[in-house]
Amino acid sequence: MYDLIIVGNGAAGLAGALYAGRYRMKVLVIGAEFGGYNSIAGIIENYPGAPEIDGFDLMMQMKGQAAKVGVEFKDGSVVSAKKLEDGCFEVTLEKGDTFTGHTLLLGQGTKRRKLGLPNEDNLSQKGVHYCITCDGPLYKDKVIAVAGGGDASVKGINLAGQYASKIYFIIRGDRIKAEPINQDQMKKLGDKVEVLFGTNVTEIIGDKSLEKIKLSKPINGSDELVVDGLFIEVGADPNNSLAKQLGCGLNAHGYITVGEMMETTTPGVYAAGDIADMFGHFKQSITAAATGSVAATGAYEYFKLTGDACTRHPGKIAS
Amino acid sequence: MENTTAGKKVIIYSTPTCGYCKLAKSFFKENGVEYVEKDVSVDLEAQKEMISKTNQMGVPVIDIDGELVIGFDQDHLAGLLGIK
Repeated sequence: MYDLIIVGNGAAGLAGALYAGRYRMKVLVIGAEFGGYNSIAGIIENYPGAPEIDGFDLMMQMKGQAAKVGVEFKDGSVVSAKKLEDGCFEVTLEKGDTFTGHTLLLGQGTKRRKLGLPNEDNLSQKGVHYCITCDGPLYKDKVIAVAGGGDASVKGINLAGQYASKIYFIIRGDRIKAEPINQDQMKKLGDKVEVLFGTNVTEIIGDKSLEKIKLSKPINGSDELVVDGLFIEVGADPNNSLAKQLGCGLNAHGYITVGEMMETTTPGVYAAGDIADMFGHFKQSITAAATGSVAATGAYEYFKLTGDACTRHPGKIAS
Repeated sequence: MENTTAGKKVIIYSTPTCGYCKLAKSFFKENGVEYVEKDVSVDLEAQKEMISKTNQMGVPVIDIDGELVIGFDQDHLAGLLGIK
């Protein structure tokens, strides 16, 4: 029996764990993909106090800091969550393990969006990729395309630019939505990067591996572009299945609506990080960590007020 | 030469910036698993070897005595390595 169960072990979950551990709550963090997007973000340059740190290393430091204050960790995917009659929550993992907690913090983040094209799954990892920091370096002296337009795309291009001979940056809209400092770095790649505004990938062509892509508008007189690799960075959707099971309110895009202490509409359930409807589209390591700390504080205050209601608890924590 | 751990020969095909590769290596270290790392961003022979084994270009690829795991699948790795 835990005072707080945190689902998700990215920046939100780990920061929440640190704060809750310092509040002397008994905390369990459950997660399937350690570090979330930070683990595959490559070098992070905008986390205050940690200049130019690898995202994975930053997450390892956060985990170590939380472990120091007694937080427990469990690897695995939580597939269901429900509120019990006494007000506590039970979560069940894919393998069938169950854990109960007085409060819950949902920090499972988002899952990457696909283009939704017919051949996309067939050619996944056979020229079509979703992790440019992972697979970009395999395309040394090759031609690649990056479909996106946000900061992850530009950071990815800055990395892939060290390897690829040519990069087509395919943007649906009419502008790049990335940090200016990252855009400045991309400009240093010069003619290697060709930006195609107002363009969509409409077809992914290839049999055993990617051969070319079709575009919504022609480039150099053709709507087909021969590329060795296509990297897709077109946004993400919230992992909100547990929130739905728990009856948490969602906004029109599926993100969990929260109050000022990151409380959801289901008492005892808090949300933090990319999954929460907070700060609009601005989803960063720092906002995840910040909302995680607020959510843990909210959970702590809720626990102090309601902890006695649950007979499973041997005693209250220090106030 | 490829190292062995409890009779198992473990090779990881990786790139330097791959987070999932780091997760896999961290898992090996936590569990005392010795492994050989092949950086497919610079070792093009290793890259060919990986593609030939898996017919795909995603990393990490982990080869445990010929059993191939694509991506970081901790449960699958634990099963192949006999880690409980």
